[in-house]
Amino acid sequence: MTFRSLNECKQSITENDIYEAMKKIPGYLDITPSDCMELYRVAFDHAISKLKNAIKADQIMTRKVVTVNEKTTLIEVVKKMADNEISGLPVLKNDQTVVGIISEKDFLKRMNDDKRPSFMRVVLQCVQTTGCIAADFNNLVASDIMSSPPLMTSPQTPVLEVANIMDKENINRVPVVDGQLKLVGIIARSDIVQTLC
Amino acid sequence: MSFFEKMKGGSQSPSVVSLSEIIWSWLGAFLGITPVAFLNYNIFYGNDLVYIIGSFGASAVLIYGAVRSPLAQPRNLVGGHLVSAVIGVIAYKLFYPFPWFASSFAVATAIAAMHATKTLHPPGGATALIAVIGSEKIHALGFWYILVPVGVGVVIMLIVALIVNNLAKNRRYPEFWY
Repeated sequence: MTFRSLNECKQSITENDIYEAMKKIPGYLDITPSDCMELYRVAFDHAISKLKNAIKADQIMTRKVVTVNEKTTLIEVVKKMADNEISGLPVLKNDQTVVGIISEKDFLKRMNDDKRPSFMRVVLQCVQTTGCIAADFNNLVASDIMSSPPLMTSPQTPVLEVANIMDKENINRVPVVDGQLKLVGIIARSDIVQTLC
Repeated sequence: MSFFEKMKGGSQSPSVVSLSEIIWSWLGAFLGITPVAFLNYNIFYGNDLVYIIGSFGASAVLIYGAVRSPLAQPRNLVGGHLVSAVIGVIAYKLFYPFPWFASSFAVATAIAAMHATKTLHPPGGATALIAVIGSEKIHALGFWYILVPVGVGVVIMLIVALIVNNLAKNRRYPEFWY
């Protein structure tokens, strides 16, 4: 379920559903189906906005974040991601502020001319050409391929808002930064799934 | 929505209730009106008091026929009748030379007062109106009208509602007291 569909739930309940529900409740209900529907809609919005604001980013974010410096060589970045079994990490400047994000997607983009890079396209390119298409990684550093500027969020941002950013921008992690843009944590898609389920 | 569009309605009308609901409504109303009418016609017949007024029939619709309605709850039943009775008597006493004004003033003020006190009960409007348009016997009661017939009748009907509605498997009464 995407987070967009949370807001669409109420649209799927029709006045007829309400009518049938009212028939199932014994006794004369002193309300028309359409008023009942309106009541349901308003109550639903209320519940959603409660849910939207209930949990803040700093309650679910990971505080120990694996990071790299913008000058870190790509080889080291790759090693770090492999060793920690992660698919993305924030890139920091020397003063610990976040300047970008590197994810598997950025590597794929580099290894692939296609507008919609994917692992399978890289495989395809690999078998059709000779030599390692990752060869030029030797001369690059983190800032060469990172996505910048990154989308970031604050510790007090409601989780559902973060979820909507991920959904809309099609990204998998959002760094959480304080007022000075210094990194305090990170929220991945999986963190949100764990929160809501 | 424009003025005339609003008149079209367009919403669905609620479905018909079950047969058991119809039977319980009948039974409740029958048992609720019986003691009040019996008091009026058989026990205290011939004295100056009145024990039954038309608005009780309207209350019966709500408290035996639409048990879940907020309008049918004890606060509304008792409060609505008492508030309206006070207003009806006052309206008659102040404005009896102008019956048309006393009538409309009584009903309109009763509705406003019931709203303000969270005791809206449609039969209250009738209770206020009867204080103005009722018989000489009613007029002669003065403020006693609030106690008899209104207070006594309402309490009897409430007791019957508490018993009958809670005997029915699919009913419970009240939803709230006040």
